Amino acid sequence: MSMTFDINTLVYMLEIVVGSLLVSVGVHFVPVGGAPAAMAQATGIGTGTVTLAAGSGLTGLLSAGLMMSVTDNIWPILATGAVGSMIMMDATMLTGDFIYSYAVGCPYASAKVNYDPITMFPQPPYVAPGTVGQGIPTVCFVSGTIGALLGGVGGAMIYYPCMQISGNPAQSAIFALGIFFVQSVIPSWNIQGTIEGFHDPKFKKWPLAFKASLIAGILLAIMTVLIQPLGGA
Amino acid sequence: MDAFGMGLVAAMGALATVAGASEDIDSDIGSQSNPNSQVQLAAQVGNPHRIYNKAIAGEPPSNALWCATACIMAYVLIEGFHMPLLFATVAGASLAALFDGVMATSAYFGRSASQSRFNQWIYLDIVRYTTPSIMAHVWITSFCVTLIAVIQVYVLTPHHPFPIPVIGLIWGITIGAIGSSVGDIHYGGEREFQWRLFGQGLNTMLSGQIVRKAEAGLRNSIDNAWFCAKFGGPCTGLGFGLTVFCDNWRTTVFDPVTQAPYAIAMGVIFVILMNVYNLYMEISARKKYGPYPGYKGDIAA
Repeated sequence: MSMTFDINTLVYMLEIVVGSLLVSVGVHFVPVGGAPAAMAQATGIGTGTVTLAAGSGLTGLLSAGLMMSVTDNIWPILATGAVGSMIMMDATMLTGDFIYSYAVGCPYASAKVNYDPITMFPQPPYVAPGTVGQGIPTVCFVSGTIGALLGGVGGAMIYYPCMQISGNPAQSAIFALGIFFVQSVIPSWNIQGTIEGFHDPKFKKWPLAFKASLIAGILLAIMTVLIQPLGGA
Repeated sequence: MDAFGMGLVAAMGALATVAGASEDIDSDIGSQSNPNSQVQLAAQVGNPHRIYNKAIAGEPPSNALWCATACIMAYVLIEGFHMPLLFATVAGASLAALFDGVMATSAYFGRSASQSRFNQWIYLDIVRYTTPSIMAHVWITSFCVTLIAVIQVYVLTPHHPFPIPVIGLIWGITIGAIGSSVGDIHYGGEREFQWRLFGQGLNTMLSGQIVRKAEAGLRNSIDNAWFCAKFGGPCTGLGFGLTVFCDNWRTTVFDPVTQAPYAIAMGVIFVILMNVYNLYMEISARKKYGPYPGYKGDIAA
């Protein structure tokens, strides 16, 4: 397959950049507590930002890939990617909360706000001494669902143009996977490893990651439209 | 929708549940993931221990490696040598288990040797009887994930367009992410620190003070697996099972070609249900456990 630059190439690049930005912003919504959360020492999900965002976004990518094998219409592909991603994230948060409430035996509480912005439940009395909160309260759960939605749409939006260029699902999936990882590492630096969700003060820093991801996204988009046509199926 | 497809999706859900459970128990025996930070710290604050220590990578990348290894071997046997699907899956999982054995052993030696200045010993008996059970669990995980990928690509309609190694890689990352977010809490939040007050997370002051004595004798990683297999493992299995089952159920019941909007709407309903269920659990936990007694702030509970 030979390289041709036309208006479509620009559209593909735009889709990759927009997808990248969605992933980058979406990561800020995911409540990750890192290693401390695994000891019920901090609010959020007990693992790293990148792995969690990737786990959910790539589950969405599997759904989007299946949908794209039967249709070329972008909307169901994006929607099913988002839904797949949200299902993974919610299943993870829900079963994680099983352990917080039934094994560790603690109520869920955020240490960043006095009242949960959604349920209005008071938080500080429920934070265990010597910790910075535990479990995944409603505001974090909803925030995580939004993050997975953005990540899923973003992943599908990166996969779609790759597939349009090369028509090779395996290669497009690997490309989408790679771009996804880059765009979830950048915001992880921005939030320094842990964040509780959109109510966390760190969330206000998102424009910084947005700018960095925009530059990375443009570079990745250029590389994608150059390399993808070489491996057409 | 056909009965055969539904049976396959149910089988995939069951396989995913088993895979999730064995993945978590594998990470508990090997002390691989986030709670291992405390195991590392223990020797440094004067508590040498007999816990296995194979944290060379986070769970998601390492499980992605095992599952992709198993899937590549299976893929070569299926596509290149036209072997039966099940045989190819078994062969692939065995290769992944061998790889894991090598990695786990070298990780244990390396990590423990680097802490010799803190009096941390290398216990050869631990290597001898813990490594095979780590390998066995990795075998189960990669077997189940490879079989899920094989079903998605070769059996279930519509066939998935990705080749099985890519699907194995993605499910590997997902299963590792779930295992490290769900099962780890049972190991880190409960098993490692059993002598503190029940009903709270780890107080920062207690970092590194892990429990080193078992029900009989000194605690080792097999004791941890015995404990975590009761709740942490099954919960992880439930998480991964829910993910695989719900995600595939909606595209099997509703044909993605003609009924795509229904498949998407069904997924949204699952998501809303899980949000509501979490809210219910939050309310019930707050009611049952109540606020912490030592709280001295002005905000009423």
